[in-house]
Amino acid sequence: MTGIRRDILIGLACLLVAVLVPILLGGRYIVTQATVFFIWAIVVVQWNLVLGIGGIFSLAQMALFATGAYATAMLGFYLKVPMLIAIPLGGLVTVAASMIIGLACLRLRGPYVALLTLAIAQVMFVLIVNDTACFTNSSGCMPLFGGVRGIGQFGDLGLRALFPTKWYVAHYYVALSLLAIAVVFSITVIRGPLGLAFKALRDSPGYALSRGISRFKYQLWIFAVSAFFTGIAGGFYAVHFRVIGPTVFSFPLLLFLIAMIVVGGMGSIWGPIIGAALLMLADEGMKEFSDYRNIGLGLLVTLFVILWPRGLAGWFERLSLLRISDSQKNT
Amino acid sequence: MDVLIQIIASGLTLGAMYAVATIGLSLVYGSLNMLNMAHGALLTLGGYICYATITHLGFHPALALIAAALVCAAAGLVIYAFATLPLLRAENFETNIFIATIGIGSIIENLMLKSFGPYPIPQPLGISGQVVIGNVHIPVQNILILVTALTLMAAVAFLLQKTRTGRAIRATSMNREAAQLMGVRVGQVYAQVLALSGALAAVSGIMISSIATLTPVMGGDPMLKAFIVCVVAGLGNVYGAVIAAIVLGLLEAATQYVFGVRWSFATLLLLVILVLIWRPYGLFGRGQVVRL
Repeated sequence: MTGIRRDILIGLACLLVAVLVPILLGGRYIVTQATVFFIWAIVVVQWNLVLGIGGIFSLAQMALFATGAYATAMLGFYLKVPMLIAIPLGGLVTVAASMIIGLACLRLRGPYVALLTLAIAQVMFVLIVNDTACFTNSSGCMPLFGGVRGIGQFGDLGLRALFPTKWYVAHYYVALSLLAIAVVFSITVIRGPLGLAFKALRDSPGYALSRGISRFKYQLWIFAVSAFFTGIAGGFYAVHFRVIGPTVFSFPLLLFLIAMIVVGGMGSIWGPIIGAALLMLADEGMKEFSDYRNIGLGLLVTLFVILWPRGLAGWFERLSLLRISDSQKNT
Repeated sequence: MDVLIQIIASGLTLGAMYAVATIGLSLVYGSLNMLNMAHGALLTLGGYICYATITHLGFHPALALIAAALVCAAAGLVIYAFATLPLLRAENFETNIFIATIGIGSIIENLMLKSFGPYPIPQPLGISGQVVIGNVHIPVQNILILVTALTLMAAVAFLLQKTRTGRAIRATSMNREAAQLMGVRVGQVYAQVLALSGALAAVSGIMISSIATLTPVMGGDPMLKAFIVCVVAGLGNVYGAVIAAIVLGLLEAATQYVFGVRWSFATLLLLVILVLIWRPYGLFGRGQVVRL
């Protein structure tokens, strides 16, 4: 079975299961938690493109997510743009923001990129939180970016009015389709020219460079295209929760998402989604020990990096390799 | 004039604190190519150990300082033994150690949160009193910080320049293989560097908490600034880092005065990005020639 066929099969199987979940287990809690899982899965799938495929050590992913979310919310709040248009616009704003960040950072070496992107996220957070000057007074004093309290009342997709009691199921399917599109997109990137360019750069940098494959150019490309769905996920997050605040910049959240990628396996196609699912489940199961949540997350990340740096996807790969060598022995 | 004195006084204090935090980071990066994201957590750990030994165990402040430095040095050794050593044997060291230390930092920080609570605690190690220059009142605490920082920097410089250990550290950061071939025990050097960096982190954590307060998340901001200092100076360049730290401290004090606290970090970052576009390896860094 070729790789692309296997990917399509796995994808369709997962999609089928996911479509049936609200019908078979219609509990509101499960459905809303699954919606949140889809949002984080979109983010980690795109982040994985940057980290695992592009080899860019960017920690700006949540800043980009926030850019999309804030852009969507502000378009809705100040300009009364309907959300159906505001979310894609937010995605485009995010792409523009990531181009600027990329142009500033990507000429640098790995560790410099990590530190600068982290610092950029921190500056955005500080600027939003410390803003106390009133920008509008229409419904009480509100700073331009909403300050600590964030922005609310910017409208929604209209699904709440359409399905008054079952709107969360509608949101579930919206998030699911977004994730499906994002995954298809990431597979095309990985298996397409961009992915091949990075594979070439990794396998034989000298030859790749002398054939005119510019690392900077392709890194900027992958950074920009992966920002689109990150921004859209942010926009949907804002719409789903009806409010967007500076909490999306929090470090534990960033750690949670890193843990998803590390546990699942950086650079693999399905790893980050597996990681996201596992960590969401673990988070649910460990609700009583929530005090120790961040300690546990830290331990998990550290252990996986040290013991299994290729994550769960690495395990599966080794299993299938074993099976191949077994079948070769038999024949 | 008074404003200028005020800016210089607070800028030098800030710069001195950043410098002490930065030396450790820079040493570790220079000799191991390891970005230690747990450094901020080590600052916090040092601050809390100092607080705990003074209030709960009744240590003399000087003894508490040493105790904190020792505990953090031990923490550095633990990081070396359980994270750095196994990861050095595998590939992709730079990426993996970065992620692993993010995890370790989170563990330490949340252990502090569990044991000391989320509320700010004043650091008991401190001196009250003020010195008046012109019309400006400068707390003795700031002067003490400056003196301690300068002493420490001199001690580290002496260690690096004059002792056998220091020579080994410098040799390793210049060229790992060559140092190894000359009989330097590289593993031992790594362990020493991480322990030293932990001890320096403890002292700078105590300094920072003595003019602000102790909170479990206090390490994040100084660590980010220390990183920025390292980046501006060129990662791994220790002496450049000291200069850059003091310049950035002064700049921060000045921008805080001119644009307000809110914009100071943003202005700093903008400057840093401009510097890096101009010189991608930092002000004092040298570009690396990569052989394929």
